[in-house]
Amino acid sequence: MNCTRRDFLQTGLGSAVLASLPGAFGGVLARTAAAAAQPPAERDTVLVVLQLTGGNDGLNTVIPYAHDEYARRRPTLRFAAGEVHKIDDELGFHPRMEALWRVYQQGHLQIIQGVGSPGADRSHEGAMRIWHTASPERPQMQTGWLGRAADACWNPQAYDAPVVFVGPIAPPFALNAETAVIPAVTAAGDLTLQSRWDSPGHRRATSASGEAAEPVGSPLLRYVRQCASRAGANSKRIQRVLASSGGGDYPSFTLAGHLQTVARLIRADIGIRIVLVELGGGGIGGFDNHANQKGNHCALLGQLSESIGAFVGDLQRDKTLDRVLLMTFSEFGRTLPENGRRGTGHGAGAVTLLVGGRVKGGLTGSHPSLTDLEDGALRVQYDFRRVYAAILDGWLGLDSRAILGASFEPLDIVRA
Amino acid sequence: MANDAMDTPQKPAPDDSGSRPAGDWPEADWAWAPYEPDQQRPWTLERAGHLYRRAALGANWAQLQLALSAGCRLTLDKLLRPPPEALSFNHTYDQYEASAAGSDSADALRAWWLRRMIESPDPLRECLTLFWHNHFAVSNGEVKNGRAMLHYVQMLRRNALGDFRLLLGEMVQSPAVLLGLQAAANRRAQPNENLVRPLFESFALGPQVASDEDVHQAARAFTGLFVFQGRRREIPREHDEGVKDILGQTGNFGRADVVRILLEQDAASRWIVRRLYRWLISEIDDPPADLIEPLAKDFAEDYDILRLTERMLRSNLFFSDRAYRRRVKSPVEFACHIIKGLEATVPTSRLGDQLARLGQNLYHPPTVKGWAGGRHWIHSAALTGRANLAAALLGEEKAYADKLDPWHLAQKYLFADEKSAGQFLLKLFVQDDLDPSTRETLLQGQDANPADSPSERIRRLAGRIVSLPEFQLA
Amino acid sequence: MSRKSLCVIGLLSLCLGQPLWGQGSLPPANRWIPPDALICLEVSEPREILKLLADKELSEKIQQMPFYQKQAASKGFQEFLGMVRIVEATLGTDWRSALARLTGSGITIAVCPQDTVLLIVDAEDAGMLNQLHDFFLNIARTEAQKQNRSESLEPVQLDGIDTWSFDGKEAHAIISNRLILASRPEGLQAVLDRRNGTVTSCLERLEAYRQARRAAGADRAAMVYINLNVLKQVPALAGALDQSKNNPLAALLFSGITESLRASQWLALKLRIREHTLLLNALADGRTVDPAGPAAFSLPEETGQGALPICPVPRFIGGFSFYRDLHRFYAAKDDLFPERTSALIFFENMMGIFFSGRDLTDEVLGEIQPEIRLVVAEQQYDPAIGTPQVCYPAFAAVLRLREPEQFAEVMEEAWQKALGLINFTRGQQALPGLIIDRPEHHQTKFTVAYFSTTGIEDPSRLPERFNLRPALAMVGEFLILSSTEQLARDLIEALDAERQRPVRPMAQVHSLVEIDGGQLASILKANYQTFVRKNMVDEGKTQEQAEAAIDVLITLVGLIDRLRLEVGSRRGLARADLEVRLNLP
Repeated sequence: MNCTRRDFLQTGLGSAVLASLPGAFGGVLARTAAAAAQPPAERDTVLVVLQLTGGNDGLNTVIPYAHDEYARRRPTLRFAAGEVHKIDDELGFHPRMEALWRVYQQGHLQIIQGVGSPGADRSHEGAMRIWHTASPERPQMQTGWLGRAADACWNPQAYDAPVVFVGPIAPPFALNAETAVIPAVTAAGDLTLQSRWDSPGHRRATSASGEAAEPVGSPLLRYVRQCASRAGANSKRIQRVLASSGGGDYPSFTLAGHLQTVARLIRADIGIRIVLVELGGGGIGGFDNHANQKGNHCALLGQLSESIGAFVGDLQRDKTLDRVLLMTFSEFGRTLPENGRRGTGHGAGAVTLLVGGRVKGGLTGSHPSLTDLEDGALRVQYDFRRVYAAILDGWLGLDSRAILGASFEPLDIVRA
Repeated sequence: MANDAMDTPQKPAPDDSGSRPAGDWPEADWAWAPYEPDQQRPWTLERAGHLYRRAALGANWAQLQLALSAGCRLTLDKLLRPPPEALSFNHTYDQYEASAAGSDSADALRAWWLRRMIESPDPLRECLTLFWHNHFAVSNGEVKNGRAMLHYVQMLRRNALGDFRLLLGEMVQSPAVLLGLQAAANRRAQPNENLVRPLFESFALGPQVASDEDVHQAARAFTGLFVFQGRRREIPREHDEGVKDILGQTGNFGRADVVRILLEQDAASRWIVRRLYRWLISEIDDPPADLIEPLAKDFAEDYDILRLTERMLRSNLFFSDRAYRRRVKSPVEFACHIIKGLEATVPTSRLGDQLARLGQNLYHPPTVKGWAGGRHWIHSAALTGRANLAAALLGEEKAYADKLDPWHLAQKYLFADEKSAGQFLLKLFVQDDLDPSTRETLLQGQDANPADSPSERIRRLAGRIVSLPEFQLA
Repeated sequence: MSRKSLCVIGLLSLCLGQPLWGQGSLPPANRWIPPDALICLEVSEPREILKLLADKELSEKIQQMPFYQKQAASKGFQEFLGMVRIVEATLGTDWRSALARLTGSGITIAVCPQDTVLLIVDAEDAGMLNQLHDFFLNIARTEAQKQNRSESLEPVQLDGIDTWSFDGKEAHAIISNRLILASRPEGLQAVLDRRNGTVTSCLERLEAYRQARRAAGADRAAMVYINLNVLKQVPALAGALDQSKNNPLAALLFSGITESLRASQWLALKLRIREHTLLLNALADGRTVDPAGPAAFSLPEETGQGALPICPVPRFIGGFSFYRDLHRFYAAKDDLFPERTSALIFFENMMGIFFSGRDLTDEVLGEIQPEIRLVVAEQQYDPAIGTPQVCYPAFAAVLRLREPEQFAEVMEEAWQKALGLINFTRGQQALPGLIIDRPEHHQTKFTVAYFSTTGIEDPSRLPERFNLRPALAMVGEFLILSSTEQLARDLIEALDAERQRPVRPMAQVHSLVEIDGGQLASILKANYQTFVRKNMVDEGKTQEQAEAAIDVLITLVGLIDRLRLEVGSRRGLARADLEVRLNLP
C-alpha cells in the first residue's frame, strides 16, 4: 500500500501520536514527519480552473456603478447603485452574484482587475488559444499550459492522474499535453471500477502481486501493478464518498453538478492537483452576448455565483477550502460601449476571480480607466501570465518558468 | 530469462540474454541474427503471442494454434507476405472511407480505421501505418479537413512497408501535413519553418542534428508550395531560386533536394531504426549505437522498410526478454487485442470515442511528436478506464451490441466446461504467463456469484483477464 | 426463466380452450388483478386484432420478403415451424383458428411491482386449452427425464385449484376456460386470493382505473391503463420528462405534453381497428396546460383555435403542424430552459444582426402567429447538375405573420443578410458560396440562392451542399422558408390553393404529425449505401447484416401507407390520437 502523507494524517493516529509529545518538539517532529513522507515539491493543493467561454463582460461582473462613464455608455445594460452588491463606494457585484459577494465578505475571494494578454487577439479562437497556450508570441504552440503542468507533474513514481477535466464538451486546448493522458469525466463515478466487475478477488489478482517481492520480469509490469493497486483503492475511496450522505447543497445547474463532482474528487483524495471545468457550453460560448445581453448574462452570472457559493460551502463543511484555489478566466472582456443591439463587442482586459481558503482576498489593482480605452475596451493592467505564474509557483509548487517558457513576476495572491 | 514464462515449464538452463544483468547489451551479431528455436529457447505459445501482439494487433485462438504448429519462420512469412485477398479488402475499405470523409471531422474515418485494424488480412500493414501516423504526427484538430486526412493516412498505408524515400517525399507535400503544421503558405518573402523544423528534428534526423541555419535555408527551398481548399498548389514565382546552403551542400535546391540531402545523412537511417526499435522491440531503454549501427547501415542502402521490419521481427533480440513485455499497449492495441481475440467486430464509432478518452484519439495525435506512449499511457485513472471499457465491450449491455461472447467462443473450440473455458481465455489473452498466485486468485474469484449463468461468469473472467497488468503490456 | 420455458409459456398463451359451461361464470379478469398494477393491457376483441395481424394476405406479403426468407432458412425458425405443425396436428385445426379459439374471450396482461407480470387468457374453447396444456406438460416431462432433472411437474393444490410450475419461477393455473400465468408464484397467489374473496381490493374497483376505462369508452378492441403516479417515479421516465429543461427545441415541441403528463394520475390507450387502419387514442386526466404557466404557449386560447392542416406537396415524406406562441415561449425561457448554451447565445447574436437590433422576443417572434407548419419532401435533382452523394430531403417552414405588409420586407432583409453572412464565413474558410436570384412563380416573386456548378468533378457524387438551394417567399400572410427552390415553388402553389379555399384550424389540436411511409421508404432507398455503411460502424455489423437491417426497416416503413398523430385536448383532458393506415393489398 502506497501510503501518502494524507493517509498517514487521516488515520488520526500519526498526527495524534506526534502531537502528544511535549511542546514544540512534537510539533516540529510532526511537521518533519509530514515533510519526510513526500518529496518537497509535492503538495496537496488543488487548482480548479473555471473557463467562462465566450468573453465574459467583466464590467457587468464587478460593476463600476459609481462611474458616470459606465452609466453613460451602458444605457440598457447598466445597473444602478441600488441594485449591485456593494464592495466599496466605487464597485459592486452584479445583482445576481449575492452568493459570491458573501464569499468575498468572508475574505475568500480575490478580484484581480484588468487581466488580459498584451496586444490581444479579438477573435474568440485566437484569444482563447492565447489563454490556453499561455503563449501570445507563438499561438501555434501545440500544448496548453495545464497540459504542460500535467507533464511537469509526472514522475516514475506518480501513479495517479494529476489533472482531470470535468464536463461534457471536448476538453479545452489548455489541457493538450505532450505526454500526459488527461481523463475527461462528467461525474465522479466515471473514475470508479464498475461494481459488476470489481470483486475483491479481481483486485487482488490485478494488483496484489505488485507488492510481492519480484526482482525479475519487466519493470513496466511493476509500474502497472502499482497503478492497478491505486486504481482499486481510488475506486473504493470515490465510492465511499459517493455513498456518504451530505455532498453539499448544490443548485440544479450543470455547472453546480460539475463543481460537486470536483468537490467529491477532492474529498476522495486520489491525487488530483488540477481540474478544469467550463461554463458557457464550449463552442463560441454562452458569454458572447452581442445581442440582448442583459437577461442572458444575468442567468449565467446567477449560475456562476450560486454554483461557486455552494462549492465553497461544501468545501468549508469538509474543511478542505484551504487546499483549494479556484480561478475563473475568459478569453476577453467586452467593450464598454453598447453596440446598439443591447449587447457588447469583444473587449480586452477583464476581471479574474480567485476563490479559496488561502487567497489574500480583496481587490488587486485599480479599476482600469473608463475613459482611456483601446478600441472601446479596457486596457490590460496585468499580463495574465502573472496570474498563471503565481498559481504555478506559489500555489501548486511547480516551476512556472519551465511551464510558461519565461519568467513572469507573480502576483501576490496566496496567504502564507 | 529467469522466471521467464516464455521458456518451457521445466526451465532448462537460463538463456543467454536473460541471465545478463540489465544494462548489459547483447552483441549486435547475435541480436540481429534470425531467431532459431532450440532447446533453450523453444517456439512457444508465449513467443507466438508476443509476435502477434507486436506485428498483427493481436491474435485469435486459431492463429495462435496454427503459429505453434507451423513454426516461427512460416508464421513470420505469412505476416510479412499477406495473402492476395488483402488487396481487395483494402480496396473495399478505401471505398467505405471515401464516403465517410466528406466533413471537417475525422470521427467517421476513425471508426473505419479501427474496423480495418480489426478485420484486415494484412495486420502488419496497419501496425506500421499506425507507426507512421505516430511518426509523421498531424492532427485533424489543426487540419479540420476529413478528405485531406483520408489521403494522408492512405498515403501512409500505401508506403507503410515500402521505400522510406518515397514516403518522406510524399509526406512533405501532403496537404494534411502542410495544413496540420500550419505550413500551407510558403512565400518567397516569408520562408515558413513550421514544416521544415519538425522535418529535420522529428521526421527525418532526430533532434540536434541540424543547425537553425540549416532549417532556415531548407525553408527557402520549400517556398512556392501552397495548399488552397485542401489541394496542393505550386506557384513558381513564389519559389526562391537563390542558392541555399543545407547541411554542407550548396545549390539552388527545391524540396526534393532537401529530402535527398536529409536521406544522405547517417543520422536519418539511425533515427528511423531507433524509432522503429521503440515501436517493435522495446520502449524501456535506448539501445547503444553499436546495436543500431548494422541495421542503420543496411537500411541506408535503399531505405526498404519491409526489409528493416523483417530483420527486427525475425531477430534473436525480438524474441528475447529484452523485448518481451517491454512495451505498454496503446489504447488502440488494448482494444484490438481483445476484439480480435474474441473473433468479432464491434461498433467502432463508439469505440473510437472511448479510446480517445483513454488518451489515443486516432487522427488526432497530441503534438507533432505523436503519442508519448510507454508508462505515460498508464495511471490509476487510465487503468480504471480500460477495465470499464473491457466491461462495456464484454458486457451484454447495449453499448457494444453484445458482439463479444467468450463463452460461445470457448464452446466453438471445444472448451466445453467453465474450468477449461477459463484456461482457454488465459492462454488466449496472456498465454497463461502469470505467476501462480495471480492465476489462482483470478480463477477463484470466478465463483463469486453462482447464481449467474456460465456465460456471464466467463464474460466476467474475460473482463478480469484483460484488466490484468500483464495484459496491458505488449 | 429459461428460453425453453418462455417458449412453452409463449405458445401456451397463444392457445386456450373451451367448455360451454365455464363461459360467463367467471368474473371479469380485472377483478382478479391487484390494484397496484402499473400497466394493464386488456384485449377485449382478440379476433379483430388477429384478423389484421394474422391476415392471410399480410402473411403472404411478409413471406415474400427477402429478409423473411433468410430468417425462415435458419434452424431455430424451422424448429419453431415444426412445433407449430405438431400443435396444429394435436389440436386438429390450423394455427389461425386455434389461436382465435384459444384467446377469443379476452386477453389481459398486467405489470405489477416487483417484476411481477400476470397473464390472464379467456379461451372460447376450454377443451382445446386443456388439450394444449397437457401437450406441453408432456413435453416438459419428457425433457426433464431426458436431462435427469427432478423438477416436479405434478400439480400443486392451492385453494383447491391445480397449479403448475414448469421451471420453479413461473406459476400457472387453469380455472374453467381461463388460464392464469404469473412470472412469480406470489403473483398467482394474489390472483387466487381475489378469486376466493380473501382480498377484495382489485384493479376493477380502483377509482383511477374506472375513470380511465370510462374515458376510453366501450367501442374498442383493446385498451391499456397506465398508472402514471407510480411510473413517473421511474428514473428513466422522470429524466425524460425533465429533458426539455436543457434543450430549448425539446421545450418548444414537448413541454405542453410533458406538463400535462406530469399533472396526470393515469393514462388510457384505446385501440380500434377499421379495415386496414389502426386507431390508437391516448387520454390522460391531467388538465392540459396551466394557462398561466410557462408552457401555456402551446395552448390554443379560444375553442376554435389550433394547428392548421398540413400543406399537401408532391413527394411528401412528412409534415408537422404546431400551435405554438413563439413570443410567449421565448418570454418564458428562464423557466423553460434555464441553461444558456453556446448555441442559444449564437442564435440570439445572429438574430440581433439579421434583424438589425430588433428585440428577438417582442419585435421578431412577436410578429409571428402561433400556427407553424413544417413540410419534408423528397427532392428531385436536376440531371444537368447531378446527384449528391448523400440525398437529403427538402424541408420547409411555413409561418403566418401578424402584419405581413410591414414585416415581409424585414424578413427579406434578414434573409439576405443571413445569406451574406454565410457567404462571408464560407469565403473565410475557402469554401464556395451562394449566388442570389429573384425568380417568379405563380405571380409570386421570391428569393433563392444556389451554389455555382463550375468545377464539378463527378456529377454522380456531388458534394452534400448541392442538397441545398435555400429560398424565401411570401404568399399572402404566409412566409415560406425552404431548403430548396423546388419545395418553395410547390408550397407557393399549395398556399395559393389554400387562399382559394381557406382551411380551418383543427380546434384544440396543438401538434399534428403526418408521415407517408412509401415516400419515406423511397428516400431511405436513395441513401441505401450511406445507411448501410453507417450501420456497419455504428452497430458493428457485417455488410450483409447491415443490409438486412436496412431492408427490414425499408420494408416496415413501406407497410405504413399513412401515419397521422394529433395531440391536443378534448373537454379539458389531454389527448393524443394516432391513426396508422397499413399498406395492404
